[in-house]
Amino acid sequence: MAFLPDESRSLPPPPLLNKGSVWLGFAGWGQFLSPPAAAGIHRQVLFATLGCFVGYHLVKRTEYVHAKVDRELFEYIRHHPVDFQPATG
Amino acid sequence: MAAGLRAVRRWGLVATAPGLAFTRSASVVKNASNAQPNWLGVGLAFGTSAALWAFLVKEHNEDVMEYERRKRERGHKCTGCS
Repeated sequence: MAFLPDESRSLPPPPLLNKGSVWLGFAGWGQFLSPPAAAGIHRQVLFATLGCFVGYHLVKRTEYVHAKVDRELFEYIRHHPVDFQPATG
Repeated sequence: MAAGLRAVRRWGLVATAPGLAFTRSASVVKNASNAQPNWLGVGLAFGTSAALWAFLVKEHNEDVMEYERRKRERGHKCTGCS
C-alpha cells in the first residue's frame, strides 16, 4: 500500500498541530537539550520543523488505517447481522 | 631543554599540529570555522524550514478543500461516518 492512498483524502484531515506533529516536533527540538551536540537556533528550527512534518504525515496515515479497519468492521457487522443481535436476557 | 622537548615531541607524548610522521592518518582535518557563523548553513536551514512549513500548510489546506469537496459530492448519503 502506498503511504497515503488517494482514499485517505476522503477523511477529514487532522489539524496541523496534532498530537503526532507536536510530539515529534518537540522531540526534534529536544535533540538540543543535552548534550549540546549542535547548537544554534537555525538547527533547532529545522529539527522541530522536520519533526512536525513527519509527525503530521504519520498521524494522517494512522487515521487512515484506523478508518479503514473501522469500515471493514462495520461492513462485516452489516453482512452478518445474525451474529450481532442484541443480547436477550 | 629545547632538545628534551624536541625528543618528547618525537615520541608523540606532546600534542603538535598533525603531521604524517606522528599521526599516520591519511587525512588532515582543517579547523572548523567556529569563530563566525556559517551563514550558508544557517541560510539553508532556515530556508529549508520555511519551505517545509509552506508545503505543510499548503498540503493541509488542500486536504481540507478536497475533503469538503468529496463530502459535497457524496451528498451526505453515508450517515455512518461523520
